[in-house]
Amino acid sequence: MIESLRATCRRLLETGTAQVVIGYGQADPGKAVHPVFIRRPEDADQLTWNDQCYPNLVAYLKRKEVQSLGKAAIVVKGCDERGLIVLERESQIDRGSLYVIGIVCGGVGNPKLDKCKSCGAHRPRFANEILGESSLLQDGVGQKWQALEEFLTKSPSQRMAYWQNEFSRCLKCYACRQVCPMCYCERCLVDKNRPTCIDTSPTLKGNFAWHITRAFHLAGRCIGCDECTRVCPVGIDLRLLNQSLAKAAEEQFGYRAGMDPQAEPLIGSYSLQDKDGFIG
Amino acid sequence: MKNIYKPDPMEVLEVRRQTPDVKSVKIRFREKEKNQNFSFRVGQFGCFSAFGYGESTFNICSSSNWKDHLEFCFRKTGKVTEALWRIEEGDTVGFRGPYGNSYPVEQWEGRNLIFVGGGIAMPPIRCAIWYVLENRARYGDISVVYGARTVADLAFADELEQWARYDRVRVVRCVDPGGETSDWKGEVGFVPAVLERSQISAGNSIALVIGPPIMIKYTLPVLDKMGLAPNDIYTSLENRMKCGLGKCGRCNVGPAYVCKEGPVFTMEQIRHLPADF
Amino acid sequence: MSEVISASALRELMRDWLRQGKQVFGPRQVKPGLVLYTRLTDPEQLLVSGFIHPSNSPKEFVFPRHEVIYSYRFEGKDLQLLDAPDSFPEQIVLAVRPCDAAALPILDKLFNWDFQDEFYNRRRQATTVVTLACLSHDDSCFCTSVGLGPADPRGSDAMLLPAQDDEFEVRPFTEKGEASFSGVTRTSSKQAGTPSGPAKKFDAGQVRTYLSENFEGPIWHDETLHCLGCGACAYTCPTCHCFDIVDEGNAAGGIRAKNWDSCQFPIFSLHASGHNPRSTQPQRQRQRLTHKFQIYPEKFGDILCTGCGNCTRNCPVNLGVLNVLEAMKNGQPL
Repeated sequence: MIESLRATCRRLLETGTAQVVIGYGQADPGKAVHPVFIRRPEDADQLTWNDQCYPNLVAYLKRKEVQSLGKAAIVVKGCDERGLIVLERESQIDRGSLYVIGIVCGGVGNPKLDKCKSCGAHRPRFANEILGESSLLQDGVGQKWQALEEFLTKSPSQRMAYWQNEFSRCLKCYACRQVCPMCYCERCLVDKNRPTCIDTSPTLKGNFAWHITRAFHLAGRCIGCDECTRVCPVGIDLRLLNQSLAKAAEEQFGYRAGMDPQAEPLIGSYSLQDKDGFIG
Repeated sequence: MKNIYKPDPMEVLEVRRQTPDVKSVKIRFREKEKNQNFSFRVGQFGCFSAFGYGESTFNICSSSNWKDHLEFCFRKTGKVTEALWRIEEGDTVGFRGPYGNSYPVEQWEGRNLIFVGGGIAMPPIRCAIWYVLENRARYGDISVVYGARTVADLAFADELEQWARYDRVRVVRCVDPGGETSDWKGEVGFVPAVLERSQISAGNSIALVIGPPIMIKYTLPVLDKMGLAPNDIYTSLENRMKCGLGKCGRCNVGPAYVCKEGPVFTMEQIRHLPADF
Repeated sequence: MSEVISASALRELMRDWLRQGKQVFGPRQVKPGLVLYTRLTDPEQLLVSGFIHPSNSPKEFVFPRHEVIYSYRFEGKDLQLLDAPDSFPEQIVLAVRPCDAAALPILDKLFNWDFQDEFYNRRRQATTVVTLACLSHDDSCFCTSVGLGPADPRGSDAMLLPAQDDEFEVRPFTEKGEASFSGVTRTSSKQAGTPSGPAKKFDAGQVRTYLSENFEGPIWHDETLHCLGCGACAYTCPTCHCFDIVDEGNAAGGIRAKNWDSCQFPIFSLHASGHNPRSTQPQRQRQRLTHKFQIYPEKFGDILCTGCGNCTRNCPVNLGVLNVLEAMKNGQPL
């Protein structure tokens, strides 16, 4: 499959269908996998695929340094691909000029990451081209909210104590924001100072404000790629915040971000059918 | 415990509106003895606080010979300067300094001086001009070429007129084409072009050039044609700052920390710095 | 002959320190798979084996993430400035990796460059550093490439070297180190081995030359384009020290604080005018590498990096300085 991936890359660059192929590379088998930007057909051999291909490469489409490289082709797992759907619905990318190479993925990580155990998107559905086969596909969609539901058995004061403990470690490094494909604001709210809405200080006040605001800004938009949780250097389980809002979106509105390319964005659209009984 | 980050509370003595978006502010220490003990050299800067909003760095634009007040001048641009814009006589601002290096005014003695500036760059030139005029006998001919986009954008316009009345001082004011008023008596044109046609004789001269990068870019070749060596052309660099004393790691241009090895540099020194600004 | 202490005696010693009102910090398993240097309140929390390097660094115990430098209260047109607390409790940072300890004398130079940062100095003076020599390393470690090693004494008041039978040889280097372990060790014929550390991966002198000659070179765009511009590397690095200064408060008053900052954030060098001298990520990466391997050595004679590997381990996309340094050596893309 890796050979087909590299061949596709060469073909796309040679025909000018893409000027850059965003994928995963590995300098040698002992080294870590990292994102690569292939611009010359002869470099296609840098591309690889294995169960260490964690990063969600869709996050690079918001970076101006990558945008300036020209028309892009991008390697996505099924979970990553949901991000493309959201970006397209929010008018951030022109799907027509992006070549999507979808990889059938049986899960990353050894042991498999939690998100993979309940994945319902093993096979990308909207790619220009799909590569790979996997016999390890399992439908664990039913377990999707397991961690969240366990957490919600705690009392409110226990949950508050939990978050106070977790957020006391937050460094305000913003790794969670930078890896998120849905966090694409040119100037994030926390970086604005006229007025200052969120304290930049890594105090409990500043950290609570940051994480809760970010979770709300992702309501109905978070695709559950879990990258934020993977990259946090101090191990804060940020998924729980996003999952609680994603669960509400699904249960209240029947909406799952990035699954249906035709669906209007949940928070970004208005329908006459929207409930308004809470308006006095 | 000595706290290098703690400013002194300063009383605002006077606020003057220089242009539609530039104000100059005179301040003195609330603690009276500090006024006597404080001294600085022209070219140095300070960190000025609008408490509750933050600190910004500005050149100390008063002459180092003046003992009864300090002065700073700023354009309303961001959070801190918007807060400073609202201050009035009697208010309190903060001051830390003086920081940075300074104009080598002793080395300039006996030389002719050419001051070239654009827009909001007048304040760091103004302090040097007053200093030099207050020690008139030690310096040669003085030429000032100063321009702004429009007549209303000329900072310290009244002082420009005062300087012209001093012995062997020539002041050339200019505005960008289209920026002149019907009764404008000065030059019309961009600063580099006006400098060139001013035909200032540049023997035994030192130049101080401060302004936006584009102005500096086009002024340097003119000074070169006039015969000035890069060692004799000075500027004051700007960069984003926070601590002002070499710790926060933000203001460096390559190996030069603008708050420590600068802000005053010669063009010769800048040539050896990477294009990190 | 050497002085040794058992792991259990070490924990008893730590219990004594806690009883004396001293603050103790050290590695602790905070969650499965996550070890952090953190405040310890019970000797059982201390981890002295089973990890290569905690995910963070102990710099926060002398250079906090958030430090109030003074507070202010408005009083009409005047205001009152109130000093921040200036006494810092005695603290011991225990089981510190030698790379982390070596960072402290390196940082001392900056925090005392002409102006003395007393917040830093007083915390430093109140701190005793007890290091734990490394028996193993991983691919991200490169202390030996920056002139250090798995048992290097730099920055250490006393060192624990793992010996047999769950005991440590104790080597004090300073008076503080001697005092901390006086009377609690026993003489033994056991001697800890000399760990070897990772093989050297690059020549720091060649790196410095490369940096001075390749400011505009293609390496920055080629090797660091995948940097996402977060602060995970800087914040978990034992030598990164850039900081922000902010006012936080309300109409009655507030505080001014120093907070950690990172040169990788786009607004780090953004002028109020909108001009940004480092507007692209490769330029910001260039600043980071150049500051550490060329500028700091030129100014202070030390490399601003101790090879701990945290930047690589914590980078969301496995960048870190080592990969870029090795690219310089090879002159090849990764």
